[in-house]
Amino acid sequence: MKYVKSYVPYHSPFDPCPPIGKKYYRTPPHLYMTFQPYNLPQFSPQEALKKGTLWPALYDYYENPYDRRS
Amino acid sequence: METNLPAEYYQLLEELQAVDFVLVELTLYLDTHPNDTASIQQFNHYAQERKKLKKAIESKYGPMQQYGNSYSGTPWDWNKAPWPWQV
Repeated sequence: MKYVKSYVPYHSPFDPCPPIGKKYYRTPPHLYMTFQPYNLPQFSPQEALKKGTLWPALYDYYENPYDRRS
Repeated sequence: METNLPAEYYQLLEELQAVDFVLVELTLYLDTHPNDTASIQQFNHYAQERKKLKKAIESKYGPMQQYGNSYSGTPWDWNKAPWPWQV
């Protein structure tokens, strides 16, 4: 759950629906990396194939943040 | 006729897949970093590696591509089973 942030939307007292509570949004690493620096450490080819990227600095897996609440 | 392929076939193909992925990543990286000689050396290394792998696979299991990208066996065998989606 590294690159995930959350916020709580305002819930009005006149809102008939129950409050949503926490909402999550993703901030993957490439947002914070303007120009990819040189000579970043790399995964092995097999691991890179599994993880979907050659560089650990850019690795961002998906984990459903809403699963834990239910 | 059910001819299951040897485990080595899958292992070689997985290796080829990993090398191909590295080449894709490096190509995209080098598009924006043209002067990164270390990565260019790595790219050429993996390109050479892929050629060796392709030769090894095709010598055992027949051509992988067509239109001159692979040597053909005799008789003309690029369309013989198993196809990639059947494997």
